[in-house]
Amino acid sequence: MADVESTGHSVKLETLDFEGPLDLLVYLVKKNEVDIYDIPIALITEQFLEYVEAMTREKLESAGEFLLMAATLMRIKAQMLLPQPDLDDEELEDPRRELVLKIIEYQQFKEIAEHLRDHESSRRLLFSRGYREWLAEDETRAEEEPANRATLGDLLRAFADVMEQAARDRVHHLEPLAVTIEEKVDFIRGRLREDGRSSFRELFVVGEPRSHWIVTFVALLEMAREGEIRLRQAERFGDINVFVGEGFEK
Amino acid sequence: MTDGSAAPTGAVLDTKHIVEALLFAADEPLTLGQLAGLIEETTPAVIGDIVRDLETDYALHRRAFTIKRIADGFQIVTRSEYAAWIERLRAAAPRPRLSRPALETLAIIAYKQPAARGELESIRGVSVDAVLRTLLERGLVEVAGRGEGLGRPLLYRTTGHFLEYFGLPGLDALPRPEELEVLFADRERQEELEFDSEDTVAEEGE
Repeated sequence: MADVESTGHSVKLETLDFEGPLDLLVYLVKKNEVDIYDIPIALITEQFLEYVEAMTREKLESAGEFLLMAATLMRIKAQMLLPQPDLDDEELEDPRRELVLKIIEYQQFKEIAEHLRDHESSRRLLFSRGYREWLAEDETRAEEEPANRATLGDLLRAFADVMEQAARDRVHHLEPLAVTIEEKVDFIRGRLREDGRSSFRELFVVGEPRSHWIVTFVALLEMAREGEIRLRQAERFGDINVFVGEGFEK
Repeated sequence: MTDGSAAPTGAVLDTKHIVEALLFAADEPLTLGQLAGLIEETTPAVIGDIVRDLETDYALHRRAFTIKRIADGFQIVTRSEYAAWIERLRAAAPRPRLSRPALETLAIIAYKQPAARGELESIRGVSVDAVLRTLLERGLVEVAGRGEGLGRPLLYRTTGHFLEYFGLPGLDALPRPEELEVLFADRERQEELEFDSEDTVAEEGE
């Protein structure tokens, strides 16, 4: 993690793991022992880019966030090089200001997270009556709802199955799209309201035109994104079940 | 306090023992109000003194348990020295600790609640989708409603279980941002945030 002690360049930056671009910036500011209120932007930008260039394939998932920050740093660096229009102008804002405030804010939450870690550690050593019941509760919940999240690939596979079945029906409906995503969201909510779950397949009404099924699918994706539903799978390639999520609107 | 008359068995039914019995039997923290509501002719303030009294007794008599203040209530818990043996009792492995991204996200929610996902992502500088799901599933945060902004985003807040999980008496037990030891140089300058543009431009312009 970022709190590895380092002396100068003896620690290879690319071997360290950062939670995100701000985490890396906090590390660079500390490592270089520079004044946060007077960041040498050229130096920090250079080291930041070194890290981004060395980012391994596994980390590419968050590469976009690092690249965005790299662009911000380069923009600030360019602004710093521009001649200042009027040195007497006290109102002139330092181009680094916004970034510095973000780094400070992030650093504060990092510290609070460390406080929480300490509390977590000491709390785990204290036991009260009833912890067995707690555990049992967790286990029953796990049985009802498999912990495996259905991935986008799983969903597309399940949807392809459903559509394939529709194709076999060989009924051609030539009607305009008569259903909206909102209507399908309402329909899915209605289905889930009863016992908080439904199978993925059951949500595709037999006899409806395929276009309606596509709308149902889009509605499911939308609801999953909003946290209204959770999509779960007991095993890989198994049937997908839909569960009521935290953001479910009754 | 109550009568103090002797029960048939000879036990002394004073309020202190009743409080002790209730705390012993409960499987979740009890608030002073809850305790007072269960016992005749007493007030939360009196119960508060009794709880402190019991805690002192346990410490003086070197009992294996103590009373901890958690989530606005009080709970009898074993002392940390005995954790190793109690863990052997457990049927299942303890739940995994929270990851660093999860702790950082929780920290932000705890201070900014109710907070939208966008706010969390802006502070952390990364996506919080997966982390937020974990926190919701572990019952540490919950949806607090929808914000007014674009797309009426879901707002999140910490739960009572959050306090229990970390053994916190309340949210105010967390350090205030200004109490944090900021490792960056020259803390006082944060208040002013006056940037000295002339000098730095000269230095930067290599």
